[in-house]
Amino acid sequence: MEAFLFYLIAGVTGLCAIATVVTQNIVRSATWLLFTLAGVSAIFFLLGADVVGATQLMVYVGGTLVLVVFGVMLTAQGPFITMKTSSAEWAVSATVGLILLAVLAMGIFTLGPTRLSRPDVPSPSAADKDNHPRLAQIREGLAKKALAEEKLISETKQTANLNSQPGSAPASAVIGEALLGVPAGPPHIEGVGATARPVRATYLLPFEIVSVHLLVVLIGAAYLARAKRRRGASS
Amino acid sequence: MEWDFGQHPGLIFVVATLLPLASFALLLLAGAARAYLRSIKAEGSLSERLFAWLGGEATGRGPAWIATAAIALACVCSVVGFVWFLADAHDVHEKVHHAKAEIKNLETKAKNVSAPDGAKTSPKKKHDHDHDHDHDKHEAGKGHGAAGKTLSQLHKEIDRLERDFEQRWSGRIKWAWLWYRGDAVKKVPSHIADVNHGTALELGFRIDHLAGIMFVMVTFIATLIHLFSIGYMSEELQQKVEDHEVHTPYGHLQRRGRFGRFFMFLSLFCFSMLNLVLADNLFQVFLSWELVGVCSYLLIGFYYERTSASNAANKAFITNRVGDAGFLIGMLILWTSLGTLNFQEMFARLRTPLLDAHHTPMGVPSILVRADKDPDAVVEGGGSFVVKGSVQSRPEPGDYVLILPRRPHFHAEDRPFEKGAVHEAKAHPSPREFGYMPYWMLVVAGLGVFLGCVGKSAQFPLQVWLPDAMEGPTPVSALIHAATMVAAGVYLVGRAYPLFTPEVLLTISYVGAITLFVAATIAIVMTDIKKVLAYSTVSQLGYMMLGLGVGGWAAGLFHLVTHAFFKALMFLASGSVIYACHHQQDMLKMGGLYPKMKITALTMLMGVLAIAGVPLFSGWYSKDAIVASAMGFWLADGNRHHALLFVLPLLTAGITTFYMFRMWFLTFTGKPRDEHVYEHASESPYLMTVPLIILAVFSVCVAWPVSNEEGETLPFVLLDAEASWLEHQIHHAQPASVGADFDGHVGMPASLTKAKHQEAGLLALGMVIIGMAFALITYYWGFLDPQESKEQFPGVHRFLTHKWYFDELYSVFFVRPALVVAGWCKNFDLKAIDGVIHAVARFGVRTSKESGWTDNRIVDGLVNLLANVWWAVGAWLRHVQTGYLRSYVLFLALAAAGIWIVLRSFQVN
Amino acid sequence: MTVGIHEYLCLGALLFVCGVVCMASKRNAIGVLIGVELVLNGANVNLVAFARYNPIFEVEGWIFALMVIVLAAGEAAVALAIVLNFYNNHMTVDVDTAEELKG
Repeated sequence: MEAFLFYLIAGVTGLCAIATVVTQNIVRSATWLLFTLAGVSAIFFLLGADVVGATQLMVYVGGTLVLVVFGVMLTAQGPFITMKTSSAEWAVSATVGLILLAVLAMGIFTLGPTRLSRPDVPSPSAADKDNHPRLAQIREGLAKKALAEEKLISETKQTANLNSQPGSAPASAVIGEALLGVPAGPPHIEGVGATARPVRATYLLPFEIVSVHLLVVLIGAAYLARAKRRRGASS
Repeated sequence: MEWDFGQHPGLIFVVATLLPLASFALLLLAGAARAYLRSIKAEGSLSERLFAWLGGEATGRGPAWIATAAIALACVCSVVGFVWFLADAHDVHEKVHHAKAEIKNLETKAKNVSAPDGAKTSPKKKHDHDHDHDHDKHEAGKGHGAAGKTLSQLHKEIDRLERDFEQRWSGRIKWAWLWYRGDAVKKVPSHIADVNHGTALELGFRIDHLAGIMFVMVTFIATLIHLFSIGYMSEELQQKVEDHEVHTPYGHLQRRGRFGRFFMFLSLFCFSMLNLVLADNLFQVFLSWELVGVCSYLLIGFYYERTSASNAANKAFITNRVGDAGFLIGMLILWTSLGTLNFQEMFARLRTPLLDAHHTPMGVPSILVRADKDPDAVVEGGGSFVVKGSVQSRPEPGDYVLILPRRPHFHAEDRPFEKGAVHEAKAHPSPREFGYMPYWMLVVAGLGVFLGCVGKSAQFPLQVWLPDAMEGPTPVSALIHAATMVAAGVYLVGRAYPLFTPEVLLTISYVGAITLFVAATIAIVMTDIKKVLAYSTVSQLGYMMLGLGVGGWAAGLFHLVTHAFFKALMFLASGSVIYACHHQQDMLKMGGLYPKMKITALTMLMGVLAIAGVPLFSGWYSKDAIVASAMGFWLADGNRHHALLFVLPLLTAGITTFYMFRMWFLTFTGKPRDEHVYEHASESPYLMTVPLIILAVFSVCVAWPVSNEEGETLPFVLLDAEASWLEHQIHHAQPASVGADFDGHVGMPASLTKAKHQEAGLLALGMVIIGMAFALITYYWGFLDPQESKEQFPGVHRFLTHKWYFDELYSVFFVRPALVVAGWCKNFDLKAIDGVIHAVARFGVRTSKESGWTDNRIVDGLVNLLANVWWAVGAWLRHVQTGYLRSYVLFLALAAAGIWIVLRSFQVN
Repeated sequence: MTVGIHEYLCLGALLFVCGVVCMASKRNAIGVLIGVELVLNGANVNLVAFARYNPIFEVEGWIFALMVIVLAAGEAAVALAIVLNFYNNHMTVDVDTAEELKG
């Protein structure tokens, strides 16, 4: 079911995205974008990130896209609606895009699933001990540390009573707490060996930064977009 | 020197000299004022009135009257002065003669009284006393007693008379001198004896018979030439003169008349010549010499718009420069060696021969010494004169050295000089008492001075200028040829005669002989009436030089005076002809003019007869004297190989007659060859003919004798060729050294000349008759066609018409090389000097350019290169910055992909 | 058939490439803006996929995605303002005319 939904939504979204690119009419392009964004929000939901998906819908589909449409409408005068791009440019762009896509795909598929979990630290062999005592020592240390971390993570997860299964956590609560400064999410291990201890991140500062950023953006946008007389018509 | 004519009657000659100078100055000032006023005068102003008063645009004859009055007055002064001088000289001569007779008496008496004493005292001794001021003590020391006292008184009397006479007729002032103060005297070079040696230049005058005669002659002829010029130059009176010989793009040259200027130059010319005659020292002569040169230059080039005239003036001037260079060298040698340029002092220092030409004993001589290995030098010639160590080591053994007594008292310690006796001077005479002068240097000095005379008198190597000088107005030619310029050379040879060694005199003789012959041959073929006269002048000057050179001092100068008259006459007559023929000078276009201008023709005939040496005419007396001198010289002992010196003048006497008659016949007889010229010809005005008549009279009778030794009187005495009064007067001025060597040897006895006079005269007369006959046959009767002989000897004719190719020779040997050298100099200047300068400049420019190039290319270039490189890099890189947003995006994508691929490909495991 | 992280990442990559190509090919400034939005969405898909499949990034992925969304909104606002200004000045929205930065 999940797979079916994913392929469906992903296919629609991908097609919409391609249509956005391919269409020559800016209004249509914006419309295809709308569908794309909606599809992405659906993907978010599918990934269990309800808050993000909701935000995606609200901010993007409801806000950003409105802005875009406004922009289109404000500037949509005859010739600008459909500004043709030469086929050569198209070819170049498409080529570059395909190259990039290929590269990305290669990157994606070279990522093994194991990479997403903790790496296995090989225990030092006897031969290593003989040949490279220092290297063996380091490896031994690393292995000990990895073990300690595994243990610590499991302990903290248990103590935090968090469900490690995806999609099972009350995400909005966690996000809200995190943004308000309450430690949230899985802990990070800081320090090595005996001094290692779990640390959980808080996101109050980024939240504040974003808010200030938005304020600046608002002011800047208002300043830039304010109605100015053209220089030639002034005075 | 005071202006007291009673005390110094000689000053009257100074006045006569200065009068033309005053006239010159007056005319010069007036002319300058006129020129100035002409430029500034305004209508009705004072300047205009002054201008009009000075003569306005056309001066009229005022300048001529001023100049003529001045020279006429000078002539009067000269005549008065000369008469006065003659009377004075006669008076003194009588007194001295009387005193000498008494001395002779006393001496014969003394001889009788005490024979040994008298034997010792030579009669020659008295001449020593002329120069001996310490005579008294000397005499007293010898103890002649009462007779001696009287003797000494008589000697003193003679001394006084002669000194007073000298003082009356001479004077001198220093006008430039050096002072040696105190012990600075010692700094005078040791060979210079007296303190005054070479320290002062003087102006002075000294009148003797020659100077007096010259004065009268010059002023008289100049006066007549002035008068003649008033008529001849009347064309110049016009405000606008058209010169038909100068062609300009606008037709003939139109110019302002130069009447005043002509007379101004004439005045200066006369002054220069008179000053030359007056001078008592060589330097003053040199000054006048140069002035004469300048005046001749100005007057020959009077029509300076004519190329030929300006060229002739240049030629005359430059040719004279050659001679003057020699003159200057001679003068400097004399100045250095003798320390004075005063003629009398020079003569006294240089030589006082034992005997003069008349075997009259003279004063103590300077001594010609041959320095031997033996320190005691021995006198050549007259005796041995031991001068112990006098010349020390200066002269090389074998050199001839003149020992010059410098101090008057030097003589006092000597006994009178005796021939053959050995005399001892002071044991060690100091250099102050002796100067020395190598003999060759004296020869060089003499040759130098003579070279000056050669230039001035147009003698053999330098005769080329005189015929060209005919470009000047005819009166100028007359003045140059008769009285002034060319006479100056002969006069100076006569004046400086004692300076000339026998070698120099021989040179003079040969130069004169060659000149007279060459010029006469050229004169035969000349067709220009003035050129014939010019060459006859050169020829006659050669006669004078020859006469002087062979020892006929009086003869040469006598001929100078007589020649002056008849040559002036002929020139003025030719001027009259030219004037009548409208400046036609070619004799081939004249002919048959006698009926039209009888006065001119007859007066000219007088001149022709005189120059030919027809008996009783003045030329006869003087030319015979010269020929006789030449014959005497030739016949003298050891001179037989100098036959040319006699043959040439004799031959030329005939040639002279021939060409002079040819000229006269061509001009005045026969049929008119050019109708145009003939029809316009007419007798000249009285202003021109009167001088001709006067000169004709003088040409005939200036040399006439008054009486002779045989007591004959006029008119019978006229046939005595030796009795010319004029010659005898000139003879009075003859230097005592004439005919005598430096060592006192009398080379050419005057008696020999005297003895051969008649023979020589007859020979010359024969030649004259032959020449005249030839002229009559060829040009009067027409038995011989000159054209035929011309065609028969084309080479000879061409040779003669080209004047022996002298001009061509000089052109090849001097003018063109000079031009080539000048060209070299010019090229050297242009190429080498300018080249070096230009090279330096170019080097500077090049260096600057290089420096600039280095600066621009290397220094700036490096900086610019750096900038350019980065600019190029930037320019290349800027293509990356397309400015297109979309391409940036593409680049970004590509870059991301590229980076990723790179990272992947290097990733391990 | 299960859906792993690779599929999500592929979708994100597709969106990203679409965005890039959109930016590269659209001459209209708004079109470029749309491309930017696509790129951001592609990135967001990745972030959220990581948050889903790596428990360590769970919260961080969400928060980053949120922030990207917010910043994208701000960016869109500013970009639109710039476009309007550009349009006011040049009377066009053709990005090719905005080549004052050309070297």
